[in-house]
Amino acid sequence: MTDRPSYDEQRHLDAIEHFRDRTEGRAIDRRGFLAICAALGIPAGAAHLTPAAAQGTPREMVLVNWGGDAVRGMRTAWVEPYTRATGRRVAIDGTGPSTGRIRLMVQSGRVTWDVMDRNLHTALEIGPEGMLEEIDYSIVDRSKVRPEHANRWGVGNYTYAHVLTYNTRRWGGRVPSTWKDVWDVRGFPGRRAFRRTIDGALEAALMADGVARDRIYPIDMKRALDGHRAIKANTIYYNAIAEGQAAFRDNEVHLGLLLNTRSWPLKQDTNGGCDYTFNEGIVWVAAWMVPKNPPSGRQVWEFIRSTQEPESQVTLLRSNGYGPVNPAASAGLPPDLAAIDPGHPANYARMLPGGVEWYAEHATNALQQYLDAISS
Amino acid sequence: MRGFYWLALLPALLLLLGLYVAPLFGVLLISVTEPRPGLGNYELLLTSASVQRALWTTARISLMTTVVTLLLGYVVAYAMRTASGTAQRWMMFWVLFPFWISVLVRSFAWITLLRGEGVINTALRGIGLIEEPLPLVRNELGVVIGMVHAMLPYAILTLYANMRGIDLRLMAAARGLGAGRTAAFLRVFLPLTRPGILGATVLVFILSLGFYVTPAILGGGKTLMIAEYVALQINETLRWGLGTMLATTLMIAVLGLMWTLSRVLDVKKLFGPG
Repeated sequence: MTDRPSYDEQRHLDAIEHFRDRTEGRAIDRRGFLAICAALGIPAGAAHLTPAAAQGTPREMVLVNWGGDAVRGMRTAWVEPYTRATGRRVAIDGTGPSTGRIRLMVQSGRVTWDVMDRNLHTALEIGPEGMLEEIDYSIVDRSKVRPEHANRWGVGNYTYAHVLTYNTRRWGGRVPSTWKDVWDVRGFPGRRAFRRTIDGALEAALMADGVARDRIYPIDMKRALDGHRAIKANTIYYNAIAEGQAAFRDNEVHLGLLLNTRSWPLKQDTNGGCDYTFNEGIVWVAAWMVPKNPPSGRQVWEFIRSTQEPESQVTLLRSNGYGPVNPAASAGLPPDLAAIDPGHPANYARMLPGGVEWYAEHATNALQQYLDAISS
Repeated sequence: MRGFYWLALLPALLLLLGLYVAPLFGVLLISVTEPRPGLGNYELLLTSASVQRALWTTARISLMTTVVTLLLGYVVAYAMRTASGTAQRWMMFWVLFPFWISVLVRSFAWITLLRGEGVINTALRGIGLIEEPLPLVRNELGVVIGMVHAMLPYAILTLYANMRGIDLRLMAAARGLGAGRTAAFLRVFLPLTRPGILGATVLVFILSLGFYVTPAILGGGKTLMIAEYVALQINETLRWGLGTMLATTLMIAVLGLMWTLSRVLDVKKLFGPG
């Protein structure tokens, strides 16, 4: 006998674990719970499967993000330290808090998420519709983010940027350094890549067309879309960000827009075959948002406050390339980490801060127009 | 006794009503109530260039898929019909094989085959047939290739079921009466497979209308078909009225096609004499 559980036992344990998560506290009362245990042939007592409602232990908190490496990264940097400090558990659901899902969940009155990894402009867009809790700044520390990174319904959790990413070997030592180069199909022949989302794609088109950085907002939609119409025959528009990353890696595309959090691992995966520049990048702040009436109540603010610590943010930069949103974390970085931090002053100065207010007001219509323009 | 059978059907019927018909009705309702009561969403079918483009793209790609699938499927089904027992079983196996693989995996497999540095382009360049890689994927051609691949089993099985009901001695009789190979096929076999062709056409076309994953992956982001358009309205732009209107329109179109099919064709006959 080994002391490691066999595969089947492990599956059984996982099932029990999952079962416990799903039943703790709320969804099922004790009698119903025991009935289910009986039906499944699981001895409730032996498995310590006692619903928390009867015991008074707090239920697990649910953090929703966009999956992939972000699950592991956030677990190490934020969830595990929080659990160690408080004893409270946090599950990460990587299925993505899209606006439609938030709306559906809040309107149905059965909210199961506690904290969501999204952004500031979505907070401004759907906060006023009653979808979100207002951030409790008596617990969450406003002084740990730049003033523009905290609003009524969202508070910044990390920075990221849309950056010009390119193949380093295709043009005999020359590489593109501006969006103008990306639009120069003759000077830099090859396949372009943009994402099927507007953030970054519109700004890049305008910069390529010679609009000064401080004149980008409000976005001139016609001009930006004309830009994309001009290059769409030479462009792949990817959906998932991982798809874009793979297209660069497989040499399917040669220059275009990608997130810095993907361009950096891409550079390593390809041994420098691909690289990126922060020059003319578009820098954004991701933000915590809390759906209306989260199941864990006020505990969620304490969790958010715990993610504001500089050390945890440096951990996430090292593992995932997410820029610390707390300026104190950016300040003491070693040079190798400073080079990849979008929020580091040297990098930040070369980029355009994304227009949060413009997106809060126009994102929905602009997205539809963009997709119409790039679709055949 | 008959009454008992009906009673036995009742639970399934109630389940369908509660979990399928009622929510479906809810969807219908949203399409005439959001953002305001009325037929405003349906008006967009006539006025919105964006909606019309998505509908046209869907119709165009579904049509191309149907034509190519039918041509290829007919050849395979005919070969199966005339092959020996063992060969027939192997052919059936290879037709059904892709069925067991997820559409997502198949789409990515096509990318590996068709992309610029993929297997096909590399081979063609290796033997010196082409200089620059052919644009086989990340465009409408790629979408049609992926969809034809997914649809072929449906067409082949439908056609094969129909062809199995045809007595091959009729062909021999035609030859005996002086018809050449071509004439025997064109004037005897082909007309007898008309129900199979019609059935496969409608089936493939209907299924093509709802494709979601394949165009999203193989289309290079530039092929916006109706299913994805609906998902976009539900998840991103939150225009649920528009999304549900398109879903309803698609459903009505499909039901209409089915109804037409049932008018011109005895559906039972489609799947052989039994």
